[in-house]
Amino acid sequence: MVDEPLYPIAVLIDELKNDDIQLRLNSIRRLSTIARALWEERTRKELIPFLSENNDDDDEVLLAMAEELGVFIPYVGGVEHAHVLLPPLETLCTVEETCVRDKAVESLCRIGSQMRESDLVDSFIPLVKRLAAGEWFTARVSACGLFHIAYPSATDLLKTELRSIYSQLCQDDMPMVRRAAATNLGKFAATVEAANLKADIMSMFEDLTQDDQDSVRLLAVEGCAALGKLLEPQDCVAHILPVIVNFSQDKSWRVRYMVANQLYELCEAVGPEPTRTDLVPAYVRLLRDNEAEVRIAAAGKVTKFCRILNPELAIQHILPCVKELSSDSSQHVRSALASVIMGMAPVLGKDATIEQLLPIFLSLLKDEFPDVRLNIISKLDQVNQVIGIDLLSQSLLPAIVELAEDRHWRVRLAIIEYIPLLASQLGVGFFDDKLGALCMQWLQDKVYSIRDAAANNLKRLAEEFGPEWAMQHIVPQVLDMVTNPHYLYRMTVLQAISLLAPVMGSEITCSKLLPVIVTASKDRVPNIKFNVAKVVEKTIRPSLVELSEDADVDVRFFANQALQSIDNVMMSS
Amino acid sequence: MSADLAAASTHGNLDEQIAQLMQCKPLSEPEVRALCEKAKEILMDESNVQPVKSPVTICGDIHGQFHDLAELFRIGGKCPDTNYLFMGDYVDRGYYSVETVTLLVALKVRYPQRITILRGNHESRQITQVYGFYDECLRKYGNASVWKIFTDLFDYFPLTALVESEIFCLHGGLSPSIETLDNIRNFDRVQEVPHEGPMCDLLWSDPDDRCGWGISPRGAGYTFGQDISEQFNHTNNLKLIARAHQLVMEGYNWAHEQKVVTIFSAPNYCYRCGNMASILEVDDCREHTFIQFEPAPRRGEPDVTRRTPDYFL
Repeated sequence: MVDEPLYPIAVLIDELKNDDIQLRLNSIRRLSTIARALWEERTRKELIPFLSENNDDDDEVLLAMAEELGVFIPYVGGVEHAHVLLPPLETLCTVEETCVRDKAVESLCRIGSQMRESDLVDSFIPLVKRLAAGEWFTARVSACGLFHIAYPSATDLLKTELRSIYSQLCQDDMPMVRRAAATNLGKFAATVEAANLKADIMSMFEDLTQDDQDSVRLLAVEGCAALGKLLEPQDCVAHILPVIVNFSQDKSWRVRYMVANQLYELCEAVGPEPTRTDLVPAYVRLLRDNEAEVRIAAAGKVTKFCRILNPELAIQHILPCVKELSSDSSQHVRSALASVIMGMAPVLGKDATIEQLLPIFLSLLKDEFPDVRLNIISKLDQVNQVIGIDLLSQSLLPAIVELAEDRHWRVRLAIIEYIPLLASQLGVGFFDDKLGALCMQWLQDKVYSIRDAAANNLKRLAEEFGPEWAMQHIVPQVLDMVTNPHYLYRMTVLQAISLLAPVMGSEITCSKLLPVIVTASKDRVPNIKFNVAKVVEKTIRPSLVELSEDADVDVRFFANQALQSIDNVMMSS
Repeated sequence: MSADLAAASTHGNLDEQIAQLMQCKPLSEPEVRALCEKAKEILMDESNVQPVKSPVTICGDIHGQFHDLAELFRIGGKCPDTNYLFMGDYVDRGYYSVETVTLLVALKVRYPQRITILRGNHESRQITQVYGFYDECLRKYGNASVWKIFTDLFDYFPLTALVESEIFCLHGGLSPSIETLDNIRNFDRVQEVPHEGPMCDLLWSDPDDRCGWGISPRGAGYTFGQDISEQFNHTNNLKLIARAHQLVMEGYNWAHEQKVVTIFSAPNYCYRCGNMASILEVDDCREHTFIQFEPAPRRGEPDVTRRTPDYFL
């Protein structure tokens, strides 16, 4: 905005007609600047008509125009003049390019929702009717997205007409129009009176659900949940439930996929009893669908679905399917299941989790596909709370130890990140075995991110178990590695030292860690040397600051002197 | 010392730019212009056979696969903590050539002693107009000036590097008109990659199972056999030729009885080849370790399309 004066209005207006698309685009993007310079009246009488005539441009320019016009009400003189913006947008609603049309519809909705009721009746509703009667399908597609704005301010007579027009759009010859009608039905329905909803809208909905194009039916599925929320439960059971049950057995897998994604939302709309009798069997069918894509969608919703059911139903009907899915032939099904299955533990309760879920976790932890393993590991904590850490560690620890050396570094990383939690819940005892060794081994992993995470892990263990424990179980082992022939592994040791120092306190830092740092400052590799500089800054300075606040006056004096000399060196150079 | 600290204050800006680039957000055109101006000064002082000290991590083609370059740094370590030598082909094919090459040039300007960037056959005006970098610049900046700035800078990139006088690193391979490293040191590299001749060959040639020189199916450069590699390594006291330029399924591939190695660092090349990538760590004891890696998981981009896109309807 600051550089606007530099951009003369005349140039902008001129460039609206320039041959170079970039310049036209630039001008359109600054349409509001032009409008402000022209003032409201000339904007209404000259600029807007000019735009209405010049709509034979590149899609990119048209898209920008459609967007700009949506926020143009202030520049044409406020809501009472908003109707002048409709003609250019109406034309944009009919172009070939979908993005332009969608944007024009969006802008029309934005303008329409601010217009006065009388203006809506005078200009907006006629516009919707013209588009709906358009010869070319693009106009009719756009019309579908405008009804929910037009309808509320219409007279009763007009309302009846609009409903009948929408009903025709639902039966249009072109599938694209029927798809648009299906997409927008929920929005439109929300504005229609309850009585007409049951009569007219539901019959449109039924038409769409029986469409011979699966692409229309699947959009109708999306509308189910929205419509379901508008209806009374008994109407929902009467009208929506049979449709959903039918859809769950649709011959097109893409429709069934959609149902699998949406089903849990419908359970709330229809209530517990129909859920038990109709939706659970439908869901079980989807979990056992022939098409992997459908099973992926269904498996991914298994926890959400179970949360709605009572545990008994979940155990009786859903759990057997979950067991089957855990050895599904598609890795993506197993992966989808693994990403949500941990959430089932709180739903099913302790006993069922131990008896039924735990074996499934274990088998998924050993899955050949790394994503499956990763999804389980990263959510182990959800299970801790249900079955208790002892049992978890007994049954899962062997698997975890195995995964600590997994071929995929992200699996190893997930395990490392789980270690501090495990440590805090299991206590010191559990570290005296193999896991302690693993924590050291990770410091020498080939992958940098693992070494980095390993250093952080040591810090968190030291915090958890205290400096004394760390002095026995971590520090000597780490310091031993500082002679590693590979500079990147020596660097990891430095990193670990700089993280451990604040936890270990100044005494251990000075007596054990500092000598190692001093030795490292004579390393043959420059990368180590500049990291020594960084570590010194991070570790020594805090120690000195700590000493400078000591109870003893002499300690404070010499600590301050040291701090000053460091700072002076920095300043003077 | 005071000069070093003065430098420290100007690094602030560059450090911010590097942090921005690490998030895959491109710099503005004026920033790119200023950056490349500084890069030119640094690169013009480098040799056609740029000496490099060990330890160093040697990497092959990246081709605009920014997220896999980020993965490479997650595997190999961050610059400047880890020293890097990249053997060309930063641009074209992938979606993020601009971000990739800007990041590498910014690192070069910030840490000239820690990273070496060689020229690949794609670092050229002609090739980038066909394989994507030109179009990407146009799309991201609205005009071709960033493309021009970078392709002008590419002329200054060194052609080859020599690690501790024993590993000879370059993008393509050997040339029948080059016998010694001094031959390379002596020509003027600041120009568009020519269609033929020694400079072209260094960026285009490939090793081959057949002995002697052969005609390259690429239409530029040559193929060279084990006898040629052995002779060249013997003449120049080299242990190994490390090069990139060819897709290899395991990410690295030995040839000519371990006289030549190909390193390729773009996993699942062109987002469809299914290959592993690798880097070669030469540590301070001059031990060699190859580290292989797979494509970085893309956030929001599932590895298989789960749904038929709407345009199939």
